[in-house]
Amino acid sequence: MIELSKIFVTFNKGTPLETRALRGVDLSVPEGQFLTVIGSNGAGKSTALNVIAGIAKVETGNVCVGGDDITDWPIHRRARFLSRVFQDPKMGTCEDLSILENFALAHGRTKPRGFRFAVSRDMRGQAAERLKVLGLGLENRLDDKVGLLSGGQRQAVSLLMAATGDSKVLLLDEHTAALDPKTAEFVLDLTRQIVGELKLTAVMVTHSMAQALHTGERTVMFHRGRIVFDAAGAERDALEVGDLMELFKREQGEELADDSLLLG
Amino acid sequence: MSLYEILGTLETGFIFGLVALGAYLTFRILDFPDLTVEGSFPLGAAVAAALIVSGGWNAWPATAAAGVIGFVAGFMTAFLNVRFNILHILAGILMAISLYSINLRIMSGPNEPLLGVDTVFTDLEVFGYPSYIVNPIFLGIAVVIFKLLLDAFLTTGWGISMRAAGSNPAMAQANSVNVGNMKLFGVGLANALTAVAGALFAQSFGAADVYMGIGVIIVGLASVIVGMSILPSGTIFLATLACLFGAILYRLAVALALNADFLGLQASDVQLVTAVLVAIALVAQQSGSSFMQVLKRRLGK
Repeated sequence: MIELSKIFVTFNKGTPLETRALRGVDLSVPEGQFLTVIGSNGAGKSTALNVIAGIAKVETGNVCVGGDDITDWPIHRRARFLSRVFQDPKMGTCEDLSILENFALAHGRTKPRGFRFAVSRDMRGQAAERLKVLGLGLENRLDDKVGLLSGGQRQAVSLLMAATGDSKVLLLDEHTAALDPKTAEFVLDLTRQIVGELKLTAVMVTHSMAQALHTGERTVMFHRGRIVFDAAGAERDALEVGDLMELFKREQGEELADDSLLLG
Repeated sequence: MSLYEILGTLETGFIFGLVALGAYLTFRILDFPDLTVEGSFPLGAAVAAALIVSGGWNAWPATAAAGVIGFVAGFMTAFLNVRFNILHILAGILMAISLYSINLRIMSGPNEPLLGVDTVFTDLEVFGYPSYIVNPIFLGIAVVIFKLLLDAFLTTGWGISMRAAGSNPAMAQANSVNVGNMKLFGVGLANALTAVAGALFAQSFGAADVYMGIGVIIVGLASVIVGMSILPSGTIFLATLACLFGAILYRLAVALALNADFLGLQASDVQLVTAVLVAIALVAQQSGSSFMQVLKRRLGK
């Protein structure tokens, strides 16, 4: 479903701040797979997600989704089949629009928007039905501005919005990182449920190793702009957080060893 | 103030209500401070006047044509911003100063009198009432129709996309909204409203003048700020209503200030009065509460 081939991304090229964020990333995510991505700060995991979404421009390499080469597509065009949930709950929903209008906006992602009224009676019913599943009572607040909701509520709403229309791919950028542990667990369960029900191809970037291992069916680790570890199936099931930490330290250690070689 | 003066103030207030609706669209909905209106207001006046006087057009299609040309002006400002990344304020200034020259060309001079020709207001004489009564009524109805159309537009698929594009561009893009196109269309629409206001103002005033755009941006902004800081603006319907009331209140405030003998102001002080009023409204907004809340608290003590 998602094919990244030989992706190189450099920020601030040609300046003293030049950062090589991705250095030859190849990643193939088959249809219906739920992939989790971990890595330390600056490892390139979010950049990889932004490359898929079109926010980060690639220097060389190709991005294909569903068989289309979308490397040169603008963000809004990609959004027709890629939906995103952001880390900041304020980012995923529009606070000046009502809950219902936010749904209408998400609904228009895959269907052309016209000069007809955005909110229909059907849509009101559908949105209420889907919000009811959350058990947060939001189905009775459809006309409230989203700005009145809490961070967790907004994140749950963005997740439901991301699953409206017929998106094929769900991109999650540390979407539970800004929430308290209980709400984070709630949003994560909702994520698993939605991805499972709609059989979406999903990529979730996370800081939490436990979350990475216990969600989805495959985990990759980024380090210094490369994928250094890729596990799925039985191999991944056998992994514990401790093993991953070990691996993490070893990668960092090797890097140190490289440096010491250079210095020596 | 006499009734005659009050009706005259209402007439101008309604015309500037259209400018206020445009300012609401750019400043509040799109978050695009648009200075093009300084040029598109006289542009609308010039286009309508030239078409009526030199072109021999009927005043109604001439006014509509002014709106279309205004749309083009706004579209070009947004185009400079969206396609060439020119800062929105600078793009507006560039457009406004180029429109100054264009307006001089359109009118082949600094002004175009509309005396002795049929305007939209001439057609209103059929009702048999004097113009100082029938004109404000007509303009009031017209501006309310424009307001309701704008309200309706802002709840359509395009409308909510435009609101999202202004309020949270990253989210709008993630929901497949072409933010650039929304700016092009929205700023165009705002300038169409402004140009129609200019066309109506010229016909009401009796002449189009190349200098009549000076301060229009502040008048529009003042109406939005004054209206929204005094009146509730929780929904689109209320917000646009507040803008219209703001435009009228602003005109009344200016008229009262100029009329108050003890202040010793004269007509040429109008821009100074405007600036002071806007500054007061902005300060009142900064305190985090509306005029009414401040007033209530003071009265409660």
